Amino acid sequence: MTTVALLGNPNTGKTTLFNELTDKYAYVGNWTGVTVEKKVGQIRHSNTEVIDLPGVYSLSPITKDESVVTNYLLRDSPDLILNVTNASQLKRNLLLSVEVLELGVPVIITLNMIDDLKRSGHYYDLKTLSTELGCPVRTSNARNKEGLPQLKADLVQNQADIQPNSPLQLNYPIMVSQAIRQAAKALTTDYQIDAKFAHWLAIQYINDNKVVRKYAVKNHLKPLLSQQAYYDAQKFADQIFETRLSFIETTLANATEQLHSTKHVAMTSKIDKVVTNPILGLPIFVGIFFLMFKFSFDWVGTPLSHQLDKLLSGPISTWANQFLTQVGALPMLRSLIVNGLIAGVGGVLTFIPQIFALFACISILEDSGYMARAALVTDRIMEMIGLNGKAFIPLIIGFGCNVTGIMAARTIEQPKERLITTLITPFMSCSARLPIYSLFVAALFPRHQAVIVLSLYFLGIVVALLMAKFYHVIFRAKENSVFIVELPQYHIPKLSIVWHGTWDKGKGFIKKAGTIIFAGTVLIWLLSNFNAHGYVTQIDHSFAASLGQILLPIFRPIGITTWQPISALLTGVLAKEVISSSMMVLFHTANQGALIGMIGGSFTALSAYALLVFVLLYIPCFATIGTIKSETGSAKWAAYSVVSSLVISYGLAFLIFQIGSLFT
Amino acid sequence: MGLFINIIIIAAIIGLAGYQIYRAVKRSKQGECAACDYDCEAKKLLNKSKKRAL
Repeated sequence: MTTVALLGNPNTGKTTLFNELTDKYAYVGNWTGVTVEKKVGQIRHSNTEVIDLPGVYSLSPITKDESVVTNYLLRDSPDLILNVTNASQLKRNLLLSVEVLELGVPVIITLNMIDDLKRSGHYYDLKTLSTELGCPVRTSNARNKEGLPQLKADLVQNQADIQPNSPLQLNYPIMVSQAIRQAAKALTTDYQIDAKFAHWLAIQYINDNKVVRKYAVKNHLKPLLSQQAYYDAQKFADQIFETRLSFIETTLANATEQLHSTKHVAMTSKIDKVVTNPILGLPIFVGIFFLMFKFSFDWVGTPLSHQLDKLLSGPISTWANQFLTQVGALPMLRSLIVNGLIAGVGGVLTFIPQIFALFACISILEDSGYMARAALVTDRIMEMIGLNGKAFIPLIIGFGCNVTGIMAARTIEQPKERLITTLITPFMSCSARLPIYSLFVAALFPRHQAVIVLSLYFLGIVVALLMAKFYHVIFRAKENSVFIVELPQYHIPKLSIVWHGTWDKGKGFIKKAGTIIFAGTVLIWLLSNFNAHGYVTQIDHSFAASLGQILLPIFRPIGITTWQPISALLTGVLAKEVISSSMMVLFHTANQGALIGMIGGSFTALSAYALLVFVLLYIPCFATIGTIKSETGSAKWAAYSVVSSLVISYGLAFLIFQIGSLFT
Repeated sequence: MGLFINIIIIAAIIGLAGYQIYRAVKRSKQGECAACDYDCEAKKLLNKSKKRAL
């Protein structure tokens, strides 16, 4: 089996290339840090295994994530390295390439996103690049599969057929060269280390590569350890960097060819001047999210959802009822299936259009390149509260699902910063809350659906940021993680990537309908149809009613005057979608339209908004609580999250309702 | 449909729901996404990445 390692800077299209080469689908986002760990795949009908490594700027890691690549090179020896570079950012990308070429493993460099380079008005003479760098250089555009057949042919080789590569030899200053030569020689003679590897090890050690220095300590490599103070005192690392940069600049100057058009770069730069502007950036970010909700709710989601609901509450429910009556089903079974499962589970499924439309919008934003700008824009605010843009990524993922958002906080270096991000992620409005928002905005804010949902999303962000500031002060967090974000050129989003992203995020919702939403619906049906004496025909005598009525005095100050929403909120701990299905069961409505009518009668606009704020911020679902416990390694933090979110949600809903009541 | 079959169907539905809740609670104790059986790509990647102590 031939092993090919895909290696390159972040956001050079490695994951897209990996997907195309291996016919797999891995999550692709047009922003840095998508690949957290290495992934393995195989090129179809071949003996070639491809390993996709996380993107790094250098083999000298700044963050722990970046050490994955250096550790891989120290422990494994791939037969071939495919160095994926962003053709438009070649000067910076080649800094990594030089480090890899010095290793002496066969390397193929591909200038990916070659179309972006052409649009910038430049091109490189591949022969010149190949001669200077001492390895084959190809061009590709993974997004539209340009250059992939050639790359596949290069990679599908038997181990024996791969041409060996001599390590790239740069003209380092005499003192540095001498130090490298002496160290490499001693490593080869005294430790029987392969000459090429010893040479590379010496350069990396002298260049202050932390991972290599740990490796040297672990393996007692005295020739390196004994000279460390000398290397550092002479500032050899700076001289190595200068030499590499000068080599790259000369190489690129020799290879650069001018083309005519520079329209695309000019356009990207013009757009960036506006969307990343310190003053305009944030309103534009809000505006884009507003359009996203307008599209998901007002324009596409709600009309489609109504059609689905008509089908479910009309022909499907009627047919099921008639069929069950004909086959002699008892009223209890009919009620469980028609009023419980079809109304509850089916009712939640009618919100699929809104959820898929929203996920499609997020996928479009990711693939277009805007998300990286959003991270940059929010970085300024994050910095003010003591976090940085790196925390933005878990928070954005938290919009899909809080569990994955919390898990994504693993990429944050500093423990305190990571804990803060973990604790604030549940305030992000995950997609599971969308059905209940949809229900209430359709009932009480039919003309302002997008604005209300947008306000809830941003309220979640504001609460999260305020809490982050509070924790930052309490925990006395001083150190910050490093956040580097690369701004890719804008792309027209590719349909297949947007579809995959939407389906990947939305599929979980459909699957949940068959598991936890189903279970929650059956539970609430049981609670609403039974009491201590058995089956009841009057829902007001059920367990659910008793429970809701006991808690009613606590919820009255936030505007809830009926017991049904309270019982529904209790089931929301299983999964937030269950609140909607529980409402359908508890209000005994056959369709969404009737439920919307009943909600409209039981709530005012103010009390509905207070309830939505409570839903947004109250106890995280079981899965999220479990994840907080697992990620923090402490049940205390999970318990703290439950209590604090309950206090915050109640306090805020109380303030909104009570202050709002003064004006209405 | 006889009374017995009615009872069996009701019991099966309730039993399945109970099992799903039991499974969700059990899995959430392990820190997995209990409510979501589908391993999305983000989750797969994150499951592979190492946890770090606080």
